[in-house]
Amino acid sequence: MAAPETGVPKVVIENQIRALRFAHREMTQQQVADRVGVSRQTVNAIEGGKYSPSLEVAFRIARVFDRPIEEVFQCIVGPG
Amino acid sequence: MNASFEEKSVWVQLIGTVVGLGAYFVVAGLLLRQGVTELVAFVPLFAASVILLVVVIVAGIVVAALTARPEGRDERDRLIGWRAESNSSWLLAVGVFAAITAMLFGVGNVWIANLLLLSLFLSESFGFALRIIYYRRGL
Repeated sequence: MAAPETGVPKVVIENQIRALRFAHREMTQQQVADRVGVSRQTVNAIEGGKYSPSLEVAFRIARVFDRPIEEVFQCIVGPG
Repeated sequence: MNASFEEKSVWVQLIGTVVGLGAYFVVAGLLLRQGVTELVAFVPLFAASVILLVVVIVAGIVVAALTARPEGRDERDRLIGWRAESNSSWLLAVGVFAAITAMLFGVGNVWIANLLLLSLFLSESFGFALRIIYYRRGL
């Protein structure tokens, strides 16, 4: 059964954490987690697109890589 | 198992609840089938199952702490807990309303007490299972 059309566009959050970790001397997920204040499994879930972090955690992750938040997270808007 | 301490502790709570209270309901079911309707007869059984539940959970938490670094709950753990509770608490509500309805029809205390305990058991077990699903599949 097709999902009902709500008129609200579907939003998918993508991220560049994996690429940024490798660009930063192959930083491990644990190192990112320790600096952000979450568990390694949470960093893994964010990186794999299984969990969209709060704005606070998203900004903290961007600060770890010293990049603006839009370089770390991208919002892909699809059809409703 | 590539799981955080929090996820492992949820597994432990699920196993402890199913083993402890599951054992209670197996024996309580046999007692009810034999016609035992004195609520007092179920108290030692309930006490033993709670002790079993606590022992399993404490032992499991110790093992989990040895195999995963306890890091405290982060925002994902809290969100998973809230969502699982919100999607499982209806089972307890159904049990409570069923118990109130049973009271109106004069059903015995032993049945009402066990019905309330069963709804609590199902609600908690379903909540733990949902949390594990959310940890594994994502939110």
